Amino acid sequence: MADMLTRLIPLFPLLACLITAVAGAKWLKEKSHWPVVIGCGLSSLCSLALLFSIPNTPGEQVQPVVLYQWMQIVEPKIENGPVYAPGAEGVSPGLDLKISLRADSLSTTMLAMLTFVATLVAVYASGYMHGDRAYWRFFSIVGLFVFSMIMLVLSANFLQLFVFWEAVGLCSYLLIGFWYEKPEAAAAGMKAFVVNRIGDFGFATGVFLIWTTFGSTEFSAVLGDSAAIAKLASTNPYLLTTICLCLFTGAIGKSAQFPLHVWLPDAMEGPTPVSALIHAATMVTAGVYLVARCTPLFQLAPDAQVFVALIGGITALLAALIALTQNDLKRVLAYSTVSQLGFMFLGLGTGSLVGIGGAMFHLVTHAFFKALLFLGAGSVMHAMGGVIDMREFRGLKRLMPQTHTTFLIGALALAGIPPLSGFWSKDTILGAVYEQAHAHHEPAVAGAAPTATDEHADESHATTSAPPDKTMFGVSRVKLFGWLYWLGTLTAFLTAFYTFRAFFLTFYGGPEKVPHAAGHHAHESPPSMCNPLWILSGGAALLGLLLGHMTGIFDGYLSGTIDGLKEASHEHGINWLVAAVSSVVAAIGVGLAWVMYKEPSAIPGRLAALAGPFTRLSEHRFYLDEVYSVFVVKPLQGLAHFSRFFDWLFVDGLFVTGVSKLPAVLGRLPRPIQNGLVQFYALAMMLATAVLMWALLSKQT
Amino acid sequence: MPSLNLLPCVMVAVPLFGALLVLLTSRVGGEQARWTALTNVLITFALAVLMVWNYRTPELLPENANASAREVTADDAIQMKSSLRWLNWRPAAPAVVEGQPQNPRDTAVELSFGVDGISLWLIVLSALLMIPAVLVSWESIKDRAPQFYALMLLLEAGLIGVFAAQDIILFYVFFEFTLIPLFFMVGIWGGSDRRWAARKFFIYTLAGSVLTFLGLLFVVLSESWMTDSSTLTFSIPELTRSIQRITTVSGPAHQYWDHASPWIFAALFAGFAIKVPLFPFHTWLPLAHVEAPTAGSVLLAGVLLKIGSYGFLRFALPLVPGASVAHFHVIAILAVIGIIYGALLALAQEDIKKLVAYSSVSHMGFCLLGLFAFNTVGLTGGMLQMINHGLSTGALFTLVGMLYERYHTRDIASYGGLTRKYPIMAFCLLVVAFSSIGLPGLNGFTGEVTALLGMFATNKLYATLSLSGIILGAWYTLSLVRRTFFGRLREPVQEHGHGHAPVAARHGAESAHGGHGSDHVALKDLNFREMVALGVLIVPIFWIGLYPQFFTSRMQPSLQPIVALLQSHGATQLAEGRPTAPATEPASAVSQLPNSPASPPSD
Repeated sequence: MADMLTRLIPLFPLLACLITAVAGAKWLKEKSHWPVVIGCGLSSLCSLALLFSIPNTPGEQVQPVVLYQWMQIVEPKIENGPVYAPGAEGVSPGLDLKISLRADSLSTTMLAMLTFVATLVAVYASGYMHGDRAYWRFFSIVGLFVFSMIMLVLSANFLQLFVFWEAVGLCSYLLIGFWYEKPEAAAAGMKAFVVNRIGDFGFATGVFLIWTTFGSTEFSAVLGDSAAIAKLASTNPYLLTTICLCLFTGAIGKSAQFPLHVWLPDAMEGPTPVSALIHAATMVTAGVYLVARCTPLFQLAPDAQVFVALIGGITALLAALIALTQNDLKRVLAYSTVSQLGFMFLGLGTGSLVGIGGAMFHLVTHAFFKALLFLGAGSVMHAMGGVIDMREFRGLKRLMPQTHTTFLIGALALAGIPPLSGFWSKDTILGAVYEQAHAHHEPAVAGAAPTATDEHADESHATTSAPPDKTMFGVSRVKLFGWLYWLGTLTAFLTAFYTFRAFFLTFYGGPEKVPHAAGHHAHESPPSMCNPLWILSGGAALLGLLLGHMTGIFDGYLSGTIDGLKEASHEHGINWLVAAVSSVVAAIGVGLAWVMYKEPSAIPGRLAALAGPFTRLSEHRFYLDEVYSVFVVKPLQGLAHFSRFFDWLFVDGLFVTGVSKLPAVLGRLPRPIQNGLVQFYALAMMLATAVLMWALLSKQT
Repeated sequence: MPSLNLLPCVMVAVPLFGALLVLLTSRVGGEQARWTALTNVLITFALAVLMVWNYRTPELLPENANASAREVTADDAIQMKSSLRWLNWRPAAPAVVEGQPQNPRDTAVELSFGVDGISLWLIVLSALLMIPAVLVSWESIKDRAPQFYALMLLLEAGLIGVFAAQDIILFYVFFEFTLIPLFFMVGIWGGSDRRWAARKFFIYTLAGSVLTFLGLLFVVLSESWMTDSSTLTFSIPELTRSIQRITTVSGPAHQYWDHASPWIFAALFAGFAIKVPLFPFHTWLPLAHVEAPTAGSVLLAGVLLKIGSYGFLRFALPLVPGASVAHFHVIAILAVIGIIYGALLALAQEDIKKLVAYSSVSHMGFCLLGLFAFNTVGLTGGMLQMINHGLSTGALFTLVGMLYERYHTRDIASYGGLTRKYPIMAFCLLVVAFSSIGLPGLNGFTGEVTALLGMFATNKLYATLSLSGIILGAWYTLSLVRRTFFGRLREPVQEHGHGHAPVAARHGAESAHGGHGSDHVALKDLNFREMVALGVLIVPIFWIGLYPQFFTSRMQPSLQPIVALLQSHGATQLAEGRPTAPATEPASAVSQLPNSPASPPSD
């Protein structure tokens, strides 16, 4: 049953993609959305069924469903020859790669979220993209994306994960550049792909290292073999840390973390449903999924974990600061996505099971409310004739009541106002960080790596508090997490503020104003667009209450993969102090936005002037694009042009042409001898004869 | 079916016969030549398919394989063998000098053909690439068409021959023979600077291959001295076997071979490195590509370059394994430089053909990196990369040719937003571009990832460095796509036959009677002929990407014996950090793991 479902889930979107690609342009035309909507819908139903049909027992190896043998390369075993064993330098372990599907609780959670959001976005897009020239192309690529993303979360080995990791990147590239005639869109697509490639460079190195270290890339042989990981951690912690950091580099690229986050805001050039589905809810969370999936590795690499937390924290704050001053509604949301992803990594970086569970929960709730917000922004954009600059419109509450209400729910959830979903997930993460910051009482047993983690839950939890007190940055771990906690709380405040700034600027802020591009018929979006908004806002509002700490359903379910999560979250519960602080802070943020933006006022302008340099820094996104341009792109282009010159002058000019001139030069040396003077020839002949004679005669005597 | 043993031989003969036929029937009518050529090419390809069908995958090397097991597996892998005595002579009086190795008395050069897992796919690739090569020349070659198609078929015969040859002299004859048709194709039908390009290409590659020939002859002579035999062996498998036997036992012959190996390696390197081309011997390539007609570029990049890497795999690795292992760092560093330097050069180009040509330098670097990883994973990757590069670069040149046929310029800056006008071409370009930058699911990935995995097991530093080449690869390839096919529609100004470039002028003269009308007809999306030309390349691009096992399983039995041989020559002791303290490099410090039984015996 479970196997059957696992096979069906990727099959439907794939079929939808192929049907739309083949029949879309000629036959389906405006009906091109149907295959994808139906395919995603069926997939979503199967995913829901799969949630309950997998054997979800902790510590048990999940048997993957093998689809086919992709490649198998066997190294010869020769007499007295080297044989691969873990750690054997210079020996290849051979390659055995099967395309297979592996459904455990982590995968099925992702699947359920992914297919559900994808279905809603597909329905929404059928309204949003209506009348586009390449309607079928859009849905075909969306189908391909959903398929690739499903295969990504169902992968049973790192190489397959990498394969679909790149495949979703391709879909992202194609969809960002969907309106290829816009130069910005084409450039943004390329930027996304190339920046992601930088992350993939790290990811690939990580996978390669795993392959040489463990002799396989199968999850069962790497992540499932806790003894091997423990041995590696005790004998060669640097290698383990390197592997984790390499994998995390991939996550930095895909999940748009500092310093590779620059592609995500530009990716907003794509159609808004794409921004909602790919660049908010699903693809960008692949990095979080990867790190959560590799928990067994990260758990024993505390340095890597601290690094993850640090990057997450920095990104969360940086993106929130940038979001404060953006005028493009979609860009505000994009930076908010970057910031929230940073939160997830902060949770993963705590290394505690509660933090990891919180990150995954935040991933799910974030998918709902951020998809909701993006689709709401899309609805505004649709009505405003494609204009998304918040200075061009205001006071849309009366014009778009449904969008207004649903957007409000999403904004409250994002701001972390209780009891909406964002509150529960974000506070779990903050609580986990807080706990790390106050871990004095726990004995810090440096280097006490566990021998095996397949024992009891409290055992494995004990290992999480084992990390040494000093981090690789020379700052004590407690201190670092203390900072990170305050940083996270500050971010929570900023999040509430910028979210409601955008909300008030769009729906309030004075008398209704509509840009010219909208014409005279600006109106609320059609039901095909509004209904998904309502469904998503239901999820954004209630998920936290239904699945969060109050019931413990989410953690209980996920503990099938992350062993011990249920017990850990029971034990630690929610930290009500942290929750209270962050709620108050969020409320202040909302209130401040109310004061400043509910009605047009002079406060924002004055404040911006007051914070002069900082405002400019935020407006220009901390000049990161410029920094990259000056320090990376331009030097590389310069190097490329220098190489071209070098190739022309030295390699081809001096080396090749030089050598080719050699025969001519050598030929020129004896040329004076052939001077055409008969006297000279006669002289030469006589001299030569004399020498010959002398030689012969001297030899005879 | 014993009759199928003649298949490789027939596959050489069919295009030769076709070339003759094209020339003979050229007076019948203008259309005749290209149809004859196409039929011939299709028949050859059908034979190639039959060859794959008929090739049965031999057993892999058994556990604990020794030298004789290697021989058995390698022999099993060579199938469809046929041979015929070709040159045969006997010196009248054997001059025996004391203390000197005996001069060989009997000599036999054979017309012997055969196919193993290595040559099989290269033959199929050659036969396959001929189809787009003929199809893209369909309209663009009007001048002396019969001669052009005849040369192309001659080239095909040469290419199939070079891969199917099982005799060293035969190999060399075909090796050089491939130069001649291409020389004329570039020199007669090429661009404005065609004469210089053809001369440079010919002399440069010839200079290298003469040295290679010396090396090969030296191998033959040395073998006969070392085995004290009265005959000269020219058969490649026999030669390989015999030399490998010598090097498994210690003795004066073995010592002699150890001394001779570096020289032989250097000689082989001279020819093959230029062919590949390895940095810094690559400068003939962009020039030849830019000037060559489209079909010439397709075949040059698609198959001719592979002769170089094939040479390394067929001769350098099995004949002088010790020297190959000893020169690991030289080759690997040159390959890594080639990958990065080629990518940088491609980034700086404004001419589409030059961009693709420099990208070839970069991609062939991956191929050599795979081959010099000295393990099956790497060798398989190198082999796959040869095929992949042939397919994707062949397809890229085909696309460039189609664009050139429409606008007569290769200047990237003069194009923009062509997707609007040419959606099918844009789709094909995207597939091919992504295949070329190694997107999973397409062929480029399978080759690159296996080659790099193999190299990573051998040496992490080189693999990681060259991995950065894929970032640059994505950059320049997607830049090309973005600048030509995305953005606002921008088309080059039509010259309508009075351009100053010779080609445009010639084309103008050619289409003068067609008038302006024909020019406008040409500015449409791909027609059926062009779709077929690209289709035959795109199908295997997906096939190798999605199901490489079909290809790799047939390669492995031929690769494993070579790997086994290389490993017995210490190929596994190349990991970086091995000579120095392993603790300095975190990546290599894994060797400190306790109870890793594998730490190989150090020498």
